[in-house]
Amino acid sequence: MKKTNNASLSRRDFLKVSGLAAGSLAVVGAMKSGFKTITEAHAKSLQQSADKTVYSACVMCPAECGIAVNVNKNGVATSIFGNPYAPLNSGVMCAKGSSGLQMVYNANRIKYPLMRVGERGENKFKRVSWDEALDYIADKIIEYKKTYGPESIIMDCGDVTDRDPYYYMFRAFGTPHTVEHGAICDTPRRHGPKLMFGGKRVEPDIMRPVLVRQPDGTLKNDYSYRSKLIVYAGWNPFTATRIVYESRGTVEAKLAGAKIIVIDPAFSNTATKADQWIPIRPGTDPDLFAAVLRYILENNDDENPLRRYIDWSFLEYSNGWEDFQSEFKSMWRKKDPLNGLNYFTLEWAAERTGIDAKAIEELAHTFGITKPAAWVWGMNGIGHHYNGYVAAIIGTALNVITGNMEIPGGAIDTELVKSDKGGAAKGEAFNKREVKRVINGTEVTSEQEKLHMDLFGDWPAGWDDVVGDYPRRFLEGVTLQQGPFRGHKYPIKAFFIRTGNPVITGSNTDTWIKSLTAKDGDDYRVGLVVYIDTPFLETGMYADIVLPEASYLERMSLCDIYPSHQLIYLRDFAIEKLYESKTQYDICWELAKKLHEKGDPDIKPEEIWEKYPTEESFWDEAIKVAPGRNHAGLPLPYPKLPVNYKLIGTPDSLEAGNVEIDDEKKVVKGEAVTVAWMREHHGVAVWPMSWYRFNNGGVLKTDSKKVDFVWDYEVEKDGEKQRKGGYSKYNKLIEESGETPRNIKPLKWQKYPRTFYWFETLWNPFTNPDYAKYKDEYPFQVVSGRIHHAMSGTQMVDWLGRIPTEDLWMPFNDERVVEEMVVGPDGPKPTGRRVRIPKGTWSIGVIQMNASDGKNLGLKTGDLVEMENPLGHKTRGKVNLVETIRPGVLRVPLGGGGRFSPGLGKTYDFRDISPNHNAIIDPEDLSPVMGQPAYGDMIVKVRKV
Amino acid sequence: MTQATKSATSADKLEVSRRDFLGMFASGIFAGLVAPAILGEVTPVHAAPSAQGGDIVPVVDLPEAAEGEHPVKRMMQDLQRALEKPMDQRKWGMVIDLRKCTGCNGCAVSCIQENKLPPGVVYRPVLTETTGTYPNIARRFVPRPCMHCEQPSCTPVCPVNATWKRSDGIVIVDYDMCIGCRACITACPYNARSFDAGRFYGDEEGGERQAYELIPSPEYKEDRIRTDGSSPIGNARKCHFCIHRIERGELPACTLSCMGRATYFGDLNDPQSLVSELIGKPNVMKIKEELGTKPQVFYLV
Repeated sequence: MKKTNNASLSRRDFLKVSGLAAGSLAVVGAMKSGFKTITEAHAKSLQQSADKTVYSACVMCPAECGIAVNVNKNGVATSIFGNPYAPLNSGVMCAKGSSGLQMVYNANRIKYPLMRVGERGENKFKRVSWDEALDYIADKIIEYKKTYGPESIIMDCGDVTDRDPYYYMFRAFGTPHTVEHGAICDTPRRHGPKLMFGGKRVEPDIMRPVLVRQPDGTLKNDYSYRSKLIVYAGWNPFTATRIVYESRGTVEAKLAGAKIIVIDPAFSNTATKADQWIPIRPGTDPDLFAAVLRYILENNDDENPLRRYIDWSFLEYSNGWEDFQSEFKSMWRKKDPLNGLNYFTLEWAAERTGIDAKAIEELAHTFGITKPAAWVWGMNGIGHHYNGYVAAIIGTALNVITGNMEIPGGAIDTELVKSDKGGAAKGEAFNKREVKRVINGTEVTSEQEKLHMDLFGDWPAGWDDVVGDYPRRFLEGVTLQQGPFRGHKYPIKAFFIRTGNPVITGSNTDTWIKSLTAKDGDDYRVGLVVYIDTPFLETGMYADIVLPEASYLERMSLCDIYPSHQLIYLRDFAIEKLYESKTQYDICWELAKKLHEKGDPDIKPEEIWEKYPTEESFWDEAIKVAPGRNHAGLPLPYPKLPVNYKLIGTPDSLEAGNVEIDDEKKVVKGEAVTVAWMREHHGVAVWPMSWYRFNNGGVLKTDSKKVDFVWDYEVEKDGEKQRKGGYSKYNKLIEESGETPRNIKPLKWQKYPRTFYWFETLWNPFTNPDYAKYKDEYPFQVVSGRIHHAMSGTQMVDWLGRIPTEDLWMPFNDERVVEEMVVGPDGPKPTGRRVRIPKGTWSIGVIQMNASDGKNLGLKTGDLVEMENPLGHKTRGKVNLVETIRPGVLRVPLGGGGRFSPGLGKTYDFRDISPNHNAIIDPEDLSPVMGQPAYGDMIVKVRKV
Repeated sequence: MTQATKSATSADKLEVSRRDFLGMFASGIFAGLVAPAILGEVTPVHAAPSAQGGDIVPVVDLPEAAEGEHPVKRMMQDLQRALEKPMDQRKWGMVIDLRKCTGCNGCAVSCIQENKLPPGVVYRPVLTETTGTYPNIARRFVPRPCMHCEQPSCTPVCPVNATWKRSDGIVIVDYDMCIGCRACITACPYNARSFDAGRFYGDEEGGERQAYELIPSPEYKEDRIRTDGSSPIGNARKCHFCIHRIERGELPACTLSCMGRATYFGDLNDPQSLVSELIGKPNVMKIKEELGTKPQVFYLV
């Protein structure tokens, strides 16, 4: 410490010193570690203004906006802005993206490889070298491969999409289980578009600018908004910024004359800009959607322009509408046992949704009559309910029959029109390798992918991997039920989790912990858990090996985005890797070399490091398939190129006509996009936008190349009958095995339905008779909300941690002095410092409750309460009594409370007064087709503690 | 804190003219005025030599627009025109379209990262106010930068003339002259000034200062490194419209980042500029106009 000489203080200095008394967060204890003051030399070395700008892709959230990172001469990132050349975000950057520096340069980053020395969950680790860590991993997985087969290993790449090296390497090693977080995200929401278009997410046509071919042949940026109506049901794009252009697009469309309707139990930030907010009862979206569809079908009058809801031209590009309609109508002739009313009538829907029948009628009429319009449904509202599939299917039908799909200002399935990427770099070819297994004494030979535990096990249609069901698999192992390896049994012995945190987000927290800590004798049942990430989150606490992955400013890959047309950009190296972190490529290739050294027969140098000797060569492979979509729509992107041929190559080469045309395969091939090309073009490749892309099949990916309203049907081709449709291949498997999948048995289905279906959600006393008995004792429905500033992995970021959001994430902390914990070289450790955190300076997840409910319970804002569900699960948090939520509904942020990883800074310090939503969800409530945990289906009682 | 007199102005209709409302949000979260802390020695450290802004950056090279123009491109063109004029013929101003603010706080954080602001200092908070009773509710977001008033209340109260209004309209603070008396902080009716109490994020988490707070701040093109005991620690701090950015032709951090494209910036003296076009509409208002401060930040409602 420097010497003090108060006597020499000038007046100015004196005032400055007294000013120091105003700090809001003070270190009060001894400082045993840390607290290095910057040296003069260090200061000089940092003192350089921006020297270069690197165009890259954000990963602070999965929106993955284009960014421009300023880096100084010493390689320090100095600021991050939106990349104006990436039309997805077009230069904008949210609070989260703008706080990236604080994530990259964070005290709680994992700095070195760690090896567990205590029990799982005890947070006892030691620092090891990469060599030791990879040695340990390689020995274990070789042993498991020999004893149980490589299918006993799961590589879960969590929430961040730039995972191709992991997919490639683990598929090469032989496991079919290379997964993403897919089915702990929003799979019921994607289901309708998936079945009916081969797509995923329907969004309004409000991404601007879009590059459009003009009548004079030039390409120009179009900034016009044509939407007249946007309905957002259970979707809050201003806060869940996944579809980033919906922030600026919605407000611009509104100023250009669009009406905005938000359907949500809570008054979300998106609702603040809506013309109408409809506070629906949670879990009743399918009811509302069905009533709108019935109203449109019953009241459509082609002769009356004020009642002409249906645009019958949809029949030209649809398949099976009559069957769908007839099944839908047969349901509406039945009576609901709960209220005695006919299904899908306005009165029936009013009874269930809690929305006035007149308001539903007006909504249906408005949507029917207003064009162009988009009916959009979201993650929390539809994706998080057991029966969200039904809403997603009806929502898709609503957009199609009203003629709104693919018209300017209407609705777009973003999955169908985004650029392709990955190609051979995904390693799918390895999944086609022939493997042999001995099942009940018989040797069976088939493809590696047919060992998949979900697709050939209990979840034949679980095409996004059923992460929420992993705890059961960890405990019970796998028995394949379908396909050539039917009857094959194997345990799950190794679980790799990269950039994911399923202990907090992958269904019930206790269930995850129990399965990761279950033992057989002295050994953990899942013998190896490896956690790979930049921050240290809860799942890391249960790992045997923790590996530091380079942050998004330190690695290379491609964005994974949902734009309105083909567009892709590069994630590029902006700064050197910090500490001992490594990129995905380094980690995988080094592990592959280890496995090869140790004699693994499947890892072949010529297929891995010799084939892709540099990171750039690997990502060149991944991007060379871009844009990879059919050339379709109006105005046609490249008038000189043939329609409905797949386009591959840089925008330049396609524009110049510098292409090879393969008429047999219907492919137009220009010059392949490369990392080098991207770097010369602000990191971005943009191909032109068009509309009407369903014409003549266009971008549709269904078997019929039309919109499929039926999902298991036969067609005749060359005199042969062929089974087609989104469910047909699963139904074939089920018929062959005679085994009805476990997940659909409760619905009394033998196999997947061929067209429209209906079933009720769970834990909803207002719609499902099985739960009506709980109505009085458990009077609150609990839903989750999004806090984009601070989701599961970024809550230690100070700039975000202070910003209140939507009555859900509020500065309700009490004053406390805490023993500081930081992720050090040996993992999370106390620093020996005691830090005082003043009251009201840190935002935490709270329980949002309507003020009238609070009054009835004698509560006031800030009271600590306990929520308990009928299964006895509990969690605690502070209530926020507000007018911004429907009475009888509680909202808590998913992943926003009860956070017990010491890597979460001050959020960890308030874990005892913030609610963990996943502590109270039903671990068995996995939605039936794809296994998504139904985060939005639960009821509780509340008591003050 | 004194209660400002209420009068029936358009500002009242917006309900943001109440001082307590501004105060609550500005101080409660970001500024958090609490707690006695350690008193350390203060060694005056001179500011780093000024690294001049250098060349003007080119306007973003976006494809030609079918009609209209990308607001970033349009505003950068406006800046270039303004920079060709002598400084005293420019009049920088900002327009914030409240109909388009989505409450994302991107501007607040973008400003923090650009200007390397420490804990407790924020130049552009987004104030949020929710009114009404279920189900009839409204929530408003009001980003609040410095208003760069034509008649500022903050500058006349400075005892050492360390803060003044430049000829191009920007109200600035000279950190070397500022004695940290905080008279300006009290005088500003918008709570737009905060006091730099010398805190560091790293001190409050782990004890090691992080790269983002050790690099020089580009503020006023001075490239100062914030170290214990030297300015701007102990000074009043405020929004300066990112002078260092605009004078090389770049938009202020908040304006470029704005998620709703609700913030506009440019030369109010240029009738062709986007900001001049926007404020020539009947839906323009200013906050607390009744005080006679003549803010140069305009709100569209």
